[in-house]
Amino acid sequence: MPVTFTKTMARMVDVCTVEEAMPLLDFLKSTPKARVDLSACVYLHTALLQLLLQARPKISGWPTEPLLARWLQPLFTTDPQTA
Amino acid sequence: MTTLLERFIPESRDYLESAAAGLLKLERDPADEGLINEVFRAVHTLKGASGLFDIPGLTRLVHAGEDVLGAVREGRLGLDSEMVDLLLGALDHVSNWIDGLERHGCLPADADGVSAGLSKRLWDFMPAPDGAPRTEPAALRSTAPPAWLDDLAPASLRAAFETADGPIVAVSYMPDDGCFYRAEDPFNLLQQLPGLRLLRAVFREAPGALAEADPFRSLLGFQALVAQPRSEIEQLLRYVLDQVTLYEVAAASSSANSPPSSMAARLIEEQRRIIMLPGDDATLASRLTAVSFTLGTLLTSLDWLDHQEALAAATDRESLIAVIDLLLQRAAPTRGAPDASVAPAGGGPAATAIPAVLAEERRPLPRMLRVDQDKVDALMTLIAELVVSKNSLPFLARRAEDVYGSRDMSREIKDQYSVIDRLAQEMQRAILDIRMLPVSEVFERFPRLVRDLSRKLEKQITLKVIGEETAADKNIIEALGDPLIHLVRNSIDHGIESPEQRAAAGKPEAATIQLRAWQEGDQVIIEVSDDGKGIDPAIVKAKALEKGLITVEKAHSMTDQDAINLIFLPGFSTAASISDLSGRGVGMDVVRTAIEKINGHVTLSSELGAGTLIRLSLPLSMAVSRVMMIEIGDGLFGVPMDIIVETVKIPRSLIRSIKRAEAFVLRNAIIPLLRLRSLLELAPREGVAEEEAVLVVRVANSTVGLVVDRFREGIDVIQKPMDGLLAGMRGYSGSALLGDGRVLLVLNLKELL
Repeated sequence: MPVTFTKTMARMVDVCTVEEAMPLLDFLKSTPKARVDLSACVYLHTALLQLLLQARPKISGWPTEPLLARWLQPLFTTDPQTA
Repeated sequence: MTTLLERFIPESRDYLESAAAGLLKLERDPADEGLINEVFRAVHTLKGASGLFDIPGLTRLVHAGEDVLGAVREGRLGLDSEMVDLLLGALDHVSNWIDGLERHGCLPADADGVSAGLSKRLWDFMPAPDGAPRTEPAALRSTAPPAWLDDLAPASLRAAFETADGPIVAVSYMPDDGCFYRAEDPFNLLQQLPGLRLLRAVFREAPGALAEADPFRSLLGFQALVAQPRSEIEQLLRYVLDQVTLYEVAAASSSANSPPSSMAARLIEEQRRIIMLPGDDATLASRLTAVSFTLGTLLTSLDWLDHQEALAAATDRESLIAVIDLLLQRAAPTRGAPDASVAPAGGGPAATAIPAVLAEERRPLPRMLRVDQDKVDALMTLIAELVVSKNSLPFLARRAEDVYGSRDMSREIKDQYSVIDRLAQEMQRAILDIRMLPVSEVFERFPRLVRDLSRKLEKQITLKVIGEETAADKNIIEALGDPLIHLVRNSIDHGIESPEQRAAAGKPEAATIQLRAWQEGDQVIIEVSDDGKGIDPAIVKAKALEKGLITVEKAHSMTDQDAINLIFLPGFSTAASISDLSGRGVGMDVVRTAIEKINGHVTLSSELGAGTLIRLSLPLSMAVSRVMMIEIGDGLFGVPMDIIVETVKIPRSLIRSIKRAEAFVLRNAIIPLLRLRSLLELAPREGVAEEEAVLVVRVANSTVGLVVDRFREGIDVIQKPMDGLLAGMRGYSGSALLGDGRVLLVLNLKELL
């Protein structure tokens, strides 16, 4: 499982594909103070990114994979407004 | 099976269906651009979606089809019947593979081979590449700088340009809603771009509440600055170019003096507004400090260092305003001119733009649910039981009055009963409604069938479909498929003549087959008619004689209509030779059996030389049937209302005995009389009645009188088939529970007689 859920934490590991979108959404919906740990994530599908940008959970760890780390975090620093 | 695959399967079927239907129409009307676009889009979407799964054979075949359709769409290829054959064949294969995918989770073993062969044949249609390479669709090239460039923080913009030695291209990639289904992953695709300098995510529309989010609907768009030649970027984004806008930012933009920025102008204007706000001295002072600080930062990031001094010197309101005006003048000429709409009409930067965008982009979401049929059936069973248990309330009311002597109680129960009764009926109707399907579900396959058969037999046939929106219960619709196919095949094979024969007979060369459906009371009527040669009663009689189905005497005394009806007899087939179309050893008797199984009737009329009309009358729903109750001894039995012709009381004196059989005369017709008691192997009734209660029924095209003890009222029942040990019992079609808890056995008279 690339994504494991504990009570308030979703840990995303390795390659996280679009198939994780449903469980992640369920988790975010049911967990008001959700935290997401991306530190071991090396690939994050756009659908998951979209959910994270929408729900804005606290990110407790940013990816260490260089490419993902370079481009992912800045997306969260600005507020993605509606184009 | 994964959720995604579960969604892919029904959706791909929809796409296949619309592609096939579109192709058929397109063949008749090749010039229709809307149609070719529709077909292309369906195949294109299917290809994309299939890429999500490890089914290369399917993807390749669909891809080949897409290429051919693409060429047709661009006018490089003319669509001919051979091509349509091949494309339809390919769609059939894909449809079979989808079935396999649903059952086994994988494609059949031969899929790759079939796919390779078919794809090659499809690609063979493609116009020869005459030196010119296939042109990829180019990305939309924007001529005006995209507005979002202005929103970027000047510092980050500068950072992007500083490290670039070539041109910078502003890439705006707005995937559509369904891009995840086509295995597109915009975020990761953009990360792969070499020379990516800046990446922003924007929501194409406001994402709304998380509770209603559809995680598979793509809402994110991306904006990026890329230090790469445009052609390189187009190459890398070649599969999504239709969703990409590119703008080459002029190299001059990187010069320190000019990053044009309406954002900056807006910011400056805002500062001016802030210091113009009313307030006391203390507030003003702090405002001035804040504004001065903001402007300082702005100047640094814009590299307008020459204004720094003036700003530092401006310590009061007036001098600051002077500086602001100066800055505004400098900012003004660089903005606005090419794209005046960027300038805000006041208020916050994006706030005014959003509602317009929303209004434009928010499409109504499809308000449809795909529900497992079992769930509806479970609901159906529950409501059936509710109807039955509700029927016990009137009995309870009577008991309250008779046994406990409370009239009031009885009336109250009756009041409650009428409420529950109404609700139960409405509920039942609503649930039956859910199960209703339009007959188009079965009609849909006929354009294809008629086309294929008419090509094969070299007959010209037009298919007319009328009333395809008529709805009936799902079970009825489903049971209708095979009989209808058989009827249409029969019409094409036996009914319709070759164009030469038609011309000789003075008819138009193109024959017409008409499928018509409409609702009549609680029945659905479906007619299959053709303008072919009709059925010759003489030939039918001769055939039936030859096969020993009728006697010579009977043949002579038969009316033409009766003769035509002979084709419904088991083992009758008029086709001189058994073709591979109809007449596969099954005849019209199969059609009749299938229709009667769902409580329908088939009637046939035909005029020699003018055509044949077959009419199917079907119940709207099988769930509730109306039966008439009859009493025999202590037992209650039900007889389906639709076979009852009338109920009569026959004085004993009018019953004649012919040898051991009994009969009576009703309106100048002799009607055989049978006693239900003896059919059910019950003891004969004691004593001699003056009158016999006779139920006149029509079973298997003959009229019979049945002697019963007493008639009772007609009721609606929900029939349960006999199961368990009773399953093999002949003579009963099922049982139903009455309100007082008694069981009503519904007779199957066809089996009894």
